[in-house]
Amino acid sequence: MPGKVVEKQTPKPRFINAITGNLGAILVGLKYFANPNRFTLKYPYEYIELRNTYRGFIVLDMKKCIGCMSCARICPASAMKMVKVTVQEGKKPKPYPVINYNRCIFCGMCVDVCPTEALAHLPVHDVVYLSMDEMDLDLERFQQKVESPSVKEGVPVKYVFDPEKGLVKVPASEGGES
Amino acid sequence: MTDWIRLLIDIIFWPPLFQLVIAPGLVAALLVVIFIIWFERKTAARVQMRIGPYHISPRLGGFLQLFADLTRYAFQEIIIPTAVDKPIFIGAPLTALVLSLLPVVSMPYTSTPYYYPLPMDYSLLLTVALSTISPIFIVAAGWASNNKFAVIGSLRESFVITAYELLIVITALSGGVAALSYNLVDIVNAQTPFYKWMIFTNPIAALTMFAAILMATSGFPFEIPEAENEIVAGAFTEYSGLMYGINMGSAYIKRFVYSLLFTLVFLGGWLPYKPGIHLIDGYIIPLVVVLVKATIVMAIISFLRAVYGRFRIDQALDGAWRIFIPLALIGFGLALLEAYMGVYA
Repeated sequence: MPGKVVEKQTPKPRFINAITGNLGAILVGLKYFANPNRFTLKYPYEYIELRNTYRGFIVLDMKKCIGCMSCARICPASAMKMVKVTVQEGKKPKPYPVINYNRCIFCGMCVDVCPTEALAHLPVHDVVYLSMDEMDLDLERFQQKVESPSVKEGVPVKYVFDPEKGLVKVPASEGGES
Repeated sequence: MTDWIRLLIDIIFWPPLFQLVIAPGLVAALLVVIFIIWFERKTAARVQMRIGPYHISPRLGGFLQLFADLTRYAFQEIIIPTAVDKPIFIGAPLTALVLSLLPVVSMPYTSTPYYYPLPMDYSLLLTVALSTISPIFIVAAGWASNNKFAVIGSLRESFVITAYELLIVITALSGGVAALSYNLVDIVNAQTPFYKWMIFTNPIAALTMFAAILMATSGFPFEIPEAENEIVAGAFTEYSGLMYGINMGSAYIKRFVYSLLFTLVFLGGWLPYKPGIHLIDGYIIPLVVVLVKATIVMAIISFLRAVYGRFRIDQALDGAWRIFIPLALIGFGLALLEAYMGVYA
């Protein structure tokens, strides 16, 4: 059913409306001036706790990896790469994935496609690398769980909806659904 | 020895010099402007649910941020493009700064004749006349910049200034008409009981002058001549470093000077304090009273930054010529009526 065409009525500009509108705007400004509701996140002193399903940095569990190369094949940005590593003496070298965060777009396809859940996301999104070479991880560093600098130093907060003030920032320990 | 100290005090507190250089001139104006810029940023942040300048000095509410900005401006390279008209490009902002500061010398801050900087008989006319000179140098700076945005900005500046300085002149003179004198001292002294301040007896003219100050000095929501997201920085597009800081500062100083004039004409100047005859009780204290009142006026102007959005140039001019000039004329008529009925006689 096609939408109904309605002619939009714009209110006529009237002098009294101008006065009341200006006064109302100033009153709202004064209300916020007297009782401010500042919800700026003071990163890195404060941080929002991320859930475990957050699509953050990726970590490899080498024991679970079977070297199927699905992750490297599905990676749309060619960030995953397989390297052959000799794990045990006398056996054939086995392929393991490594990641290049210069290219990674954090789409999570490698984690989804992994048949043994060897790859997993960490709830971390704010790691700093000093150079581009450093972002190209080798097998050893790919297995380490990176730590967020804000989690190390800051306090967790969350945003809850307050019926009177709108969004309010509260400490994460306090109750209420975010 | 005591004579020597007395001479030094006489030189420092010689009103024409003291008023131009120390207070309310260059030094006090700079301090007030720095405070007002900080206040403006903090107020806008408070109303808009942000924090504002904070990180540089959390205990002072980020007040040192302004000094950091000032230092950065002071040490930044001043780039002068090859295509500009060099003498005007450099000279115009400096002249605008000095000329926008000049009206403070023509205003009295006490009723003791010994501390008048000039003979005060026509001080209101002189103040208004001096305050209207500086915009022409902003237009010249924009023209000398040889840049499209600068020319558009200076064109807008000339439009806005023509409309709104006319308002300031009419409303300021209506104060003189009501008090039957162009002498600012008489105008202030006429407002002796509290309820006779001209903001109460002539609120229409006061409101109009307030709005005109807001528009003419391009305070944030109404900075049509230097609208950042339309024409980069208007007339100041080509400026960098300290020259840009001077341009920005002269707008604030102009607003400060207009606030002083507003204080004297509509807010009763140094009243309710009665100046004595000595240096402290006859000159310094009334000056501080006037400064505090002017700072409050500027703070209200800064608060409005958080409330309003920017007007287009056609809306601003429409408002000036269709709404505010009739209002100013009504205020002038009210002042004539007061003069006829002898309210301030």
